[in-house]
Amino acid sequence: MSTAAPVRLRDLDDAAFVERYGADRFTMSVLSSRVHYVVQHMCSGLLNTAFSGILRDWYDFAATVSGPPSDDYPMGSVSNSLAVFFGTMADGLRNAVEEYGRDRLREGDLLICNDPYRTGTHVNDILFIRPVFHDGEIVSFVTMRAHQLDMGGVVPAGFSATKHNVYESGLVLSPQLLYREDEPVDSVFHLILDNARYGALLLPDLKTIYQNLRLGERLLHESIERYGAEAVRGSIRYSADASAEAMSNAIAELPDGDYEGEEFIDCDGVGDDVEYRVHVTVRKRGEDIEVDLSGTSPQARTSINGTMLDTKTAVGVGLKYLLDPTSPFTSGTYRTIDVVIPPGTIGSAIPPDGPVFLYWEATMPVMMAIFRALSQALGERAIGGDYGTLALHNANGVTNGVPWVTTAQCGGEHGPWGATRHGDADSYEVIYMANNLDPATEAIEADIPVVVLRKEYVADTAGEGTHRGGAAVVKDTLWLSEAEHWSSALRTKRRAGFGVHGGNSGSAAATWLFDREAFDVEQERDLLPLNGGVYAGSTPIAGVLDPETKEVDLENGRYFYFASNPTWYTKPGAQFRYLTAGGGGWGNPLDRTPERVLTDVRDEYLTIEAAAERYGVVITGDPVRHPEKLAIDEEATRERRARLAVT
Amino acid sequence: MIGVDVGGTFTDVVAVRNGEIRTVKVPTNVRDTEQGVLRGAQDIGVSESQIFNHASTHGLNAVITRRLPKIAFLTTLGHRDILDMGRTWRPVEGLTDAAWRRPFGDAARPLVPRYLRRGIRERITASGDVLFPIDEEQAREELRTLQECDVAGVAVCLINAYVTDAHEARLRDLIREELGDEVAVSISSEVSPLAKEFARASSTVVDVLMKLIYGKYTDRLDSGLRDLGFTGDLNYADCAAHLVPAEVAMRQPFRIVFAGPAAGTMSSAHFGSQIDLGNLLCCDVGGTSADISLVTAGVPFVNTSFELEHDLIVNALSNEVSSIGAGGGSLITIGEVGELRVGPGSAGADPGPACYGIGGEQPTMTDACLLIGIIDPDGFAGGRMTLKKDLAEQAFAALDTPIGVDQRVRHAFDIGINNIAEGVVNIAIQHGIDPRDYSLVAYGAAGPMLLPAVLGQVRAREVVVPPHPGLFSALGLVSSDLVYSESRCSYTLLDGDAAPHIDAIFTEMEEALRSRLRPEEREKAVFVRSLDGRLVGQSWETPFVEVPEGTIDAAAMDQLVRNFHKTYGERWSKTFEMMPVQGVTYRVDAQVPADKVSYPEVPRRTDGDRPSAPVPTRSLTLRYLSESDQAANEYARVDLRQGDRIAGPAVIREPMSTTFVLAGQTVEVGRVGELRITREES
Repeated sequence: MSTAAPVRLRDLDDAAFVERYGADRFTMSVLSSRVHYVVQHMCSGLLNTAFSGILRDWYDFAATVSGPPSDDYPMGSVSNSLAVFFGTMADGLRNAVEEYGRDRLREGDLLICNDPYRTGTHVNDILFIRPVFHDGEIVSFVTMRAHQLDMGGVVPAGFSATKHNVYESGLVLSPQLLYREDEPVDSVFHLILDNARYGALLLPDLKTIYQNLRLGERLLHESIERYGAEAVRGSIRYSADASAEAMSNAIAELPDGDYEGEEFIDCDGVGDDVEYRVHVTVRKRGEDIEVDLSGTSPQARTSINGTMLDTKTAVGVGLKYLLDPTSPFTSGTYRTIDVVIPPGTIGSAIPPDGPVFLYWEATMPVMMAIFRALSQALGERAIGGDYGTLALHNANGVTNGVPWVTTAQCGGEHGPWGATRHGDADSYEVIYMANNLDPATEAIEADIPVVVLRKEYVADTAGEGTHRGGAAVVKDTLWLSEAEHWSSALRTKRRAGFGVHGGNSGSAAATWLFDREAFDVEQERDLLPLNGGVYAGSTPIAGVLDPETKEVDLENGRYFYFASNPTWYTKPGAQFRYLTAGGGGWGNPLDRTPERVLTDVRDEYLTIEAAAERYGVVITGDPVRHPEKLAIDEEATRERRARLAVT
Repeated sequence: MIGVDVGGTFTDVVAVRNGEIRTVKVPTNVRDTEQGVLRGAQDIGVSESQIFNHASTHGLNAVITRRLPKIAFLTTLGHRDILDMGRTWRPVEGLTDAAWRRPFGDAARPLVPRYLRRGIRERITASGDVLFPIDEEQAREELRTLQECDVAGVAVCLINAYVTDAHEARLRDLIREELGDEVAVSISSEVSPLAKEFARASSTVVDVLMKLIYGKYTDRLDSGLRDLGFTGDLNYADCAAHLVPAEVAMRQPFRIVFAGPAAGTMSSAHFGSQIDLGNLLCCDVGGTSADISLVTAGVPFVNTSFELEHDLIVNALSNEVSSIGAGGGSLITIGEVGELRVGPGSAGADPGPACYGIGGEQPTMTDACLLIGIIDPDGFAGGRMTLKKDLAEQAFAALDTPIGVDQRVRHAFDIGINNIAEGVVNIAIQHGIDPRDYSLVAYGAAGPMLLPAVLGQVRAREVVVPPHPGLFSALGLVSSDLVYSESRCSYTLLDGDAAPHIDAIFTEMEEALRSRLRPEEREKAVFVRSLDGRLVGQSWETPFVEVPEGTIDAAAMDQLVRNFHKTYGERWSKTFEMMPVQGVTYRVDAQVPADKVSYPEVPRRTDGDRPSAPVPTRSLTLRYLSESDQAANEYARVDLRQGDRIAGPAVIREPMSTTFVLAGQTVEVGRVGELRITREES
C-alpha cells in the first residue's frame, strides 16, 4: 500500500515537475500520446499481416511500452486489445528480464517467455520483449504478447478444459533469446517448430512480430533523439503516475467498507463432483482498496485455472470498469490496489498439477465477484453481468489429406453484456475482460469444413430491467466432415448475467450436439428449430436441462457435464448448438416505459407473453407478420403493472 | 467548368472560366440541399459552363445523424443480426467502459431496426454449392410484411454471395415482383463481392440508402440546373475524388458517400503538380477536425475501404483521410490530474467559441488565437462577425488550474498545435514516410493559421498555403479525371495454371468498360489494371498490385507474383517470397483525362514597381507566445507578388483566411501566389 500520500500532479510546481520527470508538462503530454501511438502502430502492423486466424481475425495480441529496470519496469501504455493481457504484461516483463539477467541483454536482442507461472495467461501466448538501448543502457522495453496457433501439448491449438498437468498443456519456454543482436537463434526456432503444430503459420507470424517490435523500437529511438532519454523515461513514469492518481481518486469516492461477493464455476475436466467457488472480500479505506480472495476453492485438476498474475489482471480491469472506466490503463493503475490470494487456488494455480489454459474462465468470475460485491455500494453506477463463459469450441480433423483446426470460432465465444445506467446493453460483445474482432462466418467457412448456420439473438433471454441486458446468442454449426471437438461451456449452473440496481438476471447458457439422424439440414431444407421439442433428440453437452425434453431448466433440471466425453467425435452432418447466457438488466423492469417494451416486442427481443409476465406491459398484435400494427393495451398494462408492483 | 462541394455548414462553389478562378460561398440548405447548390450555381453563372462537378457530404450527414429513408435488410436465415454485431471491435475509449455501445447497434442507433432485418431460408456454402435452395414462399411472405411496412428500399446480403450471386439475383426478382419497381434494391454480389459478410452487408445498406438519398436529389438538381440554362455534363466525385457521370454514379452510389474529404486530397495533388511538388501531407483544418491525407509522387494514398463511423465499413476505393478532433473550435479543458487539454470536443458553430458571444462559455483554440492577436476581431469571416476579446479572457480565467492566464493561453495554443502535429506525424509513421521529403499543404478555415506552427515538430520541408485555402476542397472537383471502373472478385491461387482464368477476368472487364465509354472518350481513355492479393493463409489483402498489360499468360502471371511481393515489401517492410499468392480483387480503371483548373501565375515585382517590397498594412502585438510580447507585421495577401519574402512573425490576411508565420520562419511567395513557409535552419 502507498505510504506517505504523494503530491498531486496538479499541485506540483514547474520546477518540481521537471525534476521528477525530466521535462516540462507540455513535453510529457506530447510524449505520453506519442508512446501510445507507438503501441498502436506495432499492433496495426501485426494485425494486417498476420497469418494465423487467431491473430488476423481475432486480434489475440497486445503491445506495451515500459520503462527500464532502474525505474522498476513501469508500464506506461498498452494497446486497445485484450484486457486479459494488461495486468500480466508488466509483471511478465519484470520476471522474464530479471530471470534472464538484465545485464546479459544487448541491443538487438529479442527475449521470449511463455510460462504462465512466470508471465501469466497460457503457453500459447508468447511474451516478446525488445529492449531499447541508448548509449549502452536500457531506456525502455517494447513488448508484445501474441497468441501462437499451437504450442504442442495433447490438444491441437490447445483450447481445452481437459488437460491434467503442465506436461499435457504444451511446451514451456523459460526466458530465452529468439534473436541475439538481430540474428535468429536457430536452436530456439527449432525448439518451437519441432514441438508445435502448424509451423508453416507460426514461422511467418514469429517473423512478423519481430518486425513490428523493431518498428516500435525505431519509433522510440526517434523520440529519444528529439526529446532525450531522460524525458522518454520520465514520460513512462508520468503516464503510470497519472493513471495511479486517477485510480486512487476514483477509489476515494467509493464509501469505505468491506464488501463480499462470489461466483462459481461448474466443474473441471476430471469430473462434475466439484463445483469451484471464487470468493472476494473487497476492503476499501480512503484511497486504498484490498481485494482478498481467501475462501476461493483449491486449484482445479484440469486446465481451467488461472495464475495469480491473471487474478491480478481481473482485479485491476474489474476496478477500472467500475470506478475509473476512461483513464488509460498502466502499471500505475495498481498503486493503491492490493490483491491477497493464497497459493494453489483456482485463481493462483501452481505447477505442475495446477494446469493453466482457459485461465479467463477462472478470472472472469473474479471480476464478476467484484462487480457483485460492489453493486450495492455503487448504487446506480453498478454494472450487470455479461455472458460469463467463452464456451470455447476447439476442433480439428483431416479433410482430403489436409489437417485443419479451428479455435474460438464455433462456440459461444461472443455474447451479451450487462446493462448500465447509460442504457440497454449490446447483445454481441466479447467478455468484459477482452476486446477483439469477431471472425467472419465467411472467413471461417472458407478455411474449414463447417457451415455456421445460425448466429443470432434469442427472444426472452435478456435480463429485464429499466435498461435490459443484451440478448443471448445462439450459434449452430454444421460439420461437413469427421471431426474431434473440445467444448468448454464452464458456467451454466447459474445465470451468469446477473441483474443490478433492481434489474433481473439473464437466461442461463447451454450446449447441445445433434447428429444427422436428429436433424438433417439438407433434407429438411431448413435450420434446426429453436423450439418445438427439438432438444429431445440431442446429446446434451453442458447445461442444467430437463432430463426428458433436454431443454434448459435451471430450477428442476439436472446438470449435464461438458467433459462427460473429454473429446467429442462427430460424423459428417453433426451440429453443435451453443446458447450463451443472457446479459443482466439494470433497474426495476416495471420502470421501463411501455413504448420501449413495445419496441422490444416488435424487434423480437421479447415475446408478447414475456412482455406481459415480466414487464407488465400488455401488447396486442402479431410482431412477426404485422410488426408496425402492435398496440399497447394501456388499461390492462396499468392493471398488470400495479399487480406486479405489489408481488 | 464548375466544382461544388456541399459541406455541413457551407456550400462552396468554384468556377474556372478563361483561366480565371471565381469562388462563391453560400449557406448549405440542410433540408433541401439542392436549393443551396442551385443558388450557388446561379450566382456563379452556371449557364456559361459545360461541366458541373459535384461532391456532397449530405449523404454522409444523413448516415451520421440517422435522418435516413426506411429500408429493409434481407440476409440468410439465422444471420439477421450481422448488422448489429459489426466486427465487435471496440475503440480505445471503450476498452474498460461498460457504457460503450456499438454506435450502429440496436442498443444505440441502428441503421435498420431489427424487425426490418429478416432472414430468407436458403444456404450456399463457401464452395458455392447449394446446401438448400431458396424457399420462395417464405421469401414472398417476408416481402409482403416489408410491403405492409412501406419500406423505400431493400439491401440484400446473403452468406457466401461473394462466391455466387445465384440466390441474390433470384431474390431481387422476387422483390421486384412483390414490391414493384419503385423500391430501391441493392444486392451485395453487385455492390462489393468480397468475402467477410459484415463489410459487404454494411456497404450494401449504405448503397441502397444513397440510392434513395441521391437518386431523387440528382433528378431535382439536374432539372434545376437545366432551368438555369445549363446544358453540359453533371458529374459526381467518388471517394477517391475521381469524377463519374451522374447516371453512372447512381448505379453504385455507395462510392460517392465520402467524396467531400477526398476532394481536398485531389486538390492538393493537382495543385502540387502545377508547382512541381509531388510529395504532400495534406491537412484540412476546420472548426471541429483536422483531416489529414497523403500524396506521394503526385498520387493520393488510396484504401480499399473506410469507416463512416466506428466499425461501419464501406468497401469502396477512397483517398485515405484520417480525422482528428483538432480545429479552431477545439475546447480547452482541465483534465483529471490538472493538465490542460485541447479537444477532442469542439464548440462547433453553436454555441461556438466564447468570443463569438452566442453562448459558448468554454475557451477554444479560436479564443486563444484571438487573445494572442493572430485573429483580427473586426475582420473575422470576411468581416461578417465581430469577436469579443473580453469573453475569451473570461473563459480562460474560469478554468480550474493553478497556472496563470498567460500560461493557459500559451499552453493551450502549444497543445492544440501539438495535437495536430501528432496527427500528421502519425500518418507519416503509418505510411513509413519521412516528413522531411514532404510539403505540408495547409487549407480549410483554420489551416493557414495553425499549420505553420507545427513545422517545428513535424519537420516537413515547408508549409504551403495554396490560393483560396478556404475553398480549396471545392477546387479538387476541377482537378480530377473522369474514371470509369470495373472490378471482380475471385479467390484464385496465382500460378501459371490460373493464367486463362485471370486473363478472362481482365478481358471481360475491359470490354465492359469500352462499351460504356462515350465515343469521344474511347480515344483518350487510358486503361489501368490492378489487383488486391494476399499470401496464402492471410485474410487481409495487400492492395494495388500492378498487373501486366496485354494477354495474361504464364510469364505474365510470373511477373504478377513478383509485383505482389514487391508491393508487399513496400507496404509492410518485409517479404515472404517463398509463400504462394492468392488473388482476390481484380480491377480496371478507364481514365479519361478531363479539363482541370490551372492556377494563374502571380506577377513578380519589377525594378520599376513601387513599392519594391510588400508593405505591411499595420503592426500587431502578439502576446503569450513567448516570455515577452512579439511585434509582428500584418500584410494583405492580395498585395503580395511572386518572389516576395517576409520574415516571421507575420500575419497575412485574405477575406476568408489568416496565415500566421512564426518567429524564426520565413514565407516566400511562389509562382501562383502560394505562400511557402520554412524554418530557418537551426
